[in-house]
Amino acid sequence: MSRTDLMRGTLDLLILRALITGPNHGLGIARRVEQMTQGAFRVNPGSLFPALHRLAQKGWLTAEWGRSETNRKAKFYELTPAGRRHAEAETRNWRRVSLAIELALRDVEEA
Amino acid sequence: MSGPASRPAAGVVASRLRDFAVRLVNLFRRERLERELDAELEGYLALDVEERVRRGMTPREARRTALVHLGGMEMVKELCRDVHRFRAADLGRDVRGGVRSLVRRPAFTAVAVLSLAVGIGANTAIFSLVNAVILRDTPVERPEEVVNVYLHQASFAHGPLSYPSFEDVRDGTSDVFSHVAAAQLVPAQLDRAGGGVEMVLAEAVTGDYLPMLGVEAALGRTLLPSDDVSRGGHPVAMLDYQYWQSAFGGDPGAVGREMRIAGRAYTVVGVGPPDFTGTMRGLAPAFYAPSMMAEELLGARLFDARGGQVLFVKARLRPGVALPQAEAAVGAVAAQLTRDRIENWDPTGQFAVLPLTDVLLFPPIDVFIRPAAGLLMAVVALVLLLACTNLASFLLARALDRRKEVAVRLALGASRGSLVRRLLTETTLLSLLAGAAGTGLAVWLLHLLATADLPLPIPVALDLRLERNVLAFTLGVSVVAGTLLGLVPALQSTRPDVSGALRSESSGGGQPGQLRWRNVLVIAQLTISLVLLIGAGLFLRSFQQVQSVDPGFGREPSAILTFLTPATRFTPDEARVYTRRLLDRFRELPGVDAVGAISRLHLDPLTQSTSDFNVAGVEPPTDHGAFHADQAQVDLGFFEAAGIEIVRGRNFSDADRPDTQPVAIISEAMARRFWEDGDAVGRLVRPRGDESSPWLVVGVASDAKVRTLGEAPRNMIYLPYSQRLTRSLTVVARTSMDPQHTALALLTAGREVDPDLWVLASKTMDRHLAVMRLPQQLSAFVLSAFGVLALTLAAVGLYGVVSYAVSQRTREVGIRMALGADGARVVRMLVAGGLRLVVIGGALGLALAFAAARLLGGLLFEVDTLDPLTFVGVPLVLAAAALLAAWLPARRASRVHPVTALRTD
Repeated sequence: MSRTDLMRGTLDLLILRALITGPNHGLGIARRVEQMTQGAFRVNPGSLFPALHRLAQKGWLTAEWGRSETNRKAKFYELTPAGRRHAEAETRNWRRVSLAIELALRDVEEA
Repeated sequence: MSGPASRPAAGVVASRLRDFAVRLVNLFRRERLERELDAELEGYLALDVEERVRRGMTPREARRTALVHLGGMEMVKELCRDVHRFRAADLGRDVRGGVRSLVRRPAFTAVAVLSLAVGIGANTAIFSLVNAVILRDTPVERPEEVVNVYLHQASFAHGPLSYPSFEDVRDGTSDVFSHVAAAQLVPAQLDRAGGGVEMVLAEAVTGDYLPMLGVEAALGRTLLPSDDVSRGGHPVAMLDYQYWQSAFGGDPGAVGREMRIAGRAYTVVGVGPPDFTGTMRGLAPAFYAPSMMAEELLGARLFDARGGQVLFVKARLRPGVALPQAEAAVGAVAAQLTRDRIENWDPTGQFAVLPLTDVLLFPPIDVFIRPAAGLLMAVVALVLLLACTNLASFLLARALDRRKEVAVRLALGASRGSLVRRLLTETTLLSLLAGAAGTGLAVWLLHLLATADLPLPIPVALDLRLERNVLAFTLGVSVVAGTLLGLVPALQSTRPDVSGALRSESSGGGQPGQLRWRNVLVIAQLTISLVLLIGAGLFLRSFQQVQSVDPGFGREPSAILTFLTPATRFTPDEARVYTRRLLDRFRELPGVDAVGAISRLHLDPLTQSTSDFNVAGVEPPTDHGAFHADQAQVDLGFFEAAGIEIVRGRNFSDADRPDTQPVAIISEAMARRFWEDGDAVGRLVRPRGDESSPWLVVGVASDAKVRTLGEAPRNMIYLPYSQRLTRSLTVVARTSMDPQHTALALLTAGREVDPDLWVLASKTMDRHLAVMRLPQQLSAFVLSAFGVLALTLAAVGLYGVVSYAVSQRTREVGIRMALGADGARVVRMLVAGGLRLVVIGGALGLALAFAAARLLGGLLFEVDTLDPLTFVGVPLVLAAAALLAAWLPARRASRVHPVTALRTD
């Protein structure tokens, strides 16, 4: 798996997880990701919007026009059932990978 | 390896396919996507600015920093467009790869394309036919308001009306119908431009017929009420669009020209619209003329004949009138006619009202068309299913072959989605090829059908062009079939974990699941082909039965000529002299052994002629007051020419003249029914309505089939032509030469006597009799063709399965043979595996066939739906073919030298 794939996969997973609590618009999702990762990930629009469109095209998100809390027109994204399943599967995968890497790193440090 | 990326869930494949599809759709909505993207990014920017302002920035500063953060509007848009874009290069690569892979295996490609093409071709052809007969809408204005009115009698349901009855219905129902109009089918004699005459079908229509249906002229005008006022006073015609195209080359100058029809000049006032092809589907008339011209066109008296059944009546319901009200109104008219004891009005007569949309052609014919069309559709659907299962079976085998290749690609990092897409592309290519080949096949089949020389009782002109919706249907079927059939194998072949497939497993048992799926397909094929073959068997038996029926006349080679002596041209005496001259001329022809004439030859499906009669000493039936018999007028020579024997009494003679005692010859069945020992000679038959001048029975004739081949012997009364004139006569000429040749000789000789001879038909006796056998013959032919096709496809499928099993077990066979098993034993073992499928498929097929045969009952001729010969014989044929298909590959395996077998791999 290439590096960009890894990064892309990570961003996708973060976006999907950001939407588990409910629909949100682009800026809201970016803020939520920042908040979830305690500021470690800053999502810029150049990667956020292509990722959102890609996920929608795969049928994992649906998009609909709505009003923000300040009553501005914005596009809201929502998880589909397939998207929810995918998010869960990817979360499990990620846990396994990160555990494996964690173990490997520990090995190296202890050696 | 079982890492996160090596085995994506089915959901991932589905999402990739969806992604591909959306990109494809996006090609057609680029502008909308662009607008949405603009709006979305603007919205984002506005929200961001708002947030920054809330945090204390000035609006100006907030906007500037937000734009910087966005990182260039155009760049973000371009990145998003990348997501939406359809990558044509990918599709091109897939298609090229697919073509390469198909070309690499020409045999596989040929078999797959051919079997699917046959299924698709048959389907398209049949669908076009059904479309032409059943589905295509009649081009009528507000068709839901239009009804057909029929005459319902004890002897014949849903018949046409006579002119007087039509007028009574029209005048007595004006409170429920806004219009009542009628059309009569008329064979008309037309002078050709280059000399000679041609017989065409025309329609004589009442003045408001075309306006009521909303028919508008493509050129000139339609016929109007003002064209239909006085008898014989309106020699005008509207041409049918197709006839105008073929006979006038679509020349607009045709309007206003004169045509000579039945010896009179008619002015063409217009050309009908292209989509209106007359009153009856499949019987496109050449032109329409006013009904007031019908007597002249036919050379017969019609307008005052209450007993005639000639007019197809249509009516338009007034707004808000429901069918029951209309039925009550026509019922009142019939009741009045019965009460008034109108002469020649059958007191059992009723008028029936049927919505236009419920009638295809004509209710008595529809009864046969609907089940026949259903049967045809079912059969071709089964054949398509069969072709699809065959294709699926092939694809499965292919998927097994390719597992290693796919595993290598997966190991090298190809994504599963792209592989699936690639395989699907290949299958879709295959389906499209088959769709194209099938369309070609369908065009050819339709051409065959359109030009087939079927012994139809009337010239049928079905519009059998391949329509756009039919083509779309075919392509849809082939693409859907291909995608579905390709998807299963594609998913299966990309599933195996890489390491497992890379290990050699060609000697192993293969994937049991896939072999099992293939077995299911073969069982399905065997089942379908058995059902089709049993259907074919039943119809073949039916055809055999029909052919073995002795019609009771026309057994010897003979030729037939039907001609008319129009009342408008000949007085009765002139007609008799004219007819005698013609018959005398025919007797002189070389090879002609006997010549006779009859008003209506037996087994003509189009016309019937009956008499109501009573016999002294026999109580009339209570419901009707008289007995029914079929009736015909014959000349002295008829019985000898037709091969009907006079079993008692005498033939007619020259002494039976108009001024002597009226005489009759009756059928044996009738004689036996009414007189002890059938001794009818010298007895009297009293025709109803004319009881004072009874017919003296002078002879009894052997029975012949009159209406259908399946009937029990009927009451038949022959009257002498010399005492009862008929305007239409069918000449039967028994010949020792080729009847085809004699038929032509009759026509030529007739034209020599009178160049204007009005000929209605010229054919051989065989062809006349073939009309009645046609339904059985056609069904037997079509079902046999499809049955054999199905059997072949199933045999190929079975052959493939056994071959595959054999190739999987080559090493096992080697070991067994090395250990001393003989070849025969090995063959038995391998064949047994295939036969298990045959037994299961056979049992299922028999069960289905038992059920299906019951539905066929109405279409069979004197064959039990559980005909033992068929139900035993056909499965044996199937078993033999299946045994052969399984035995061939098995024998090959047993011939392999043990050492070679052990060395495989």
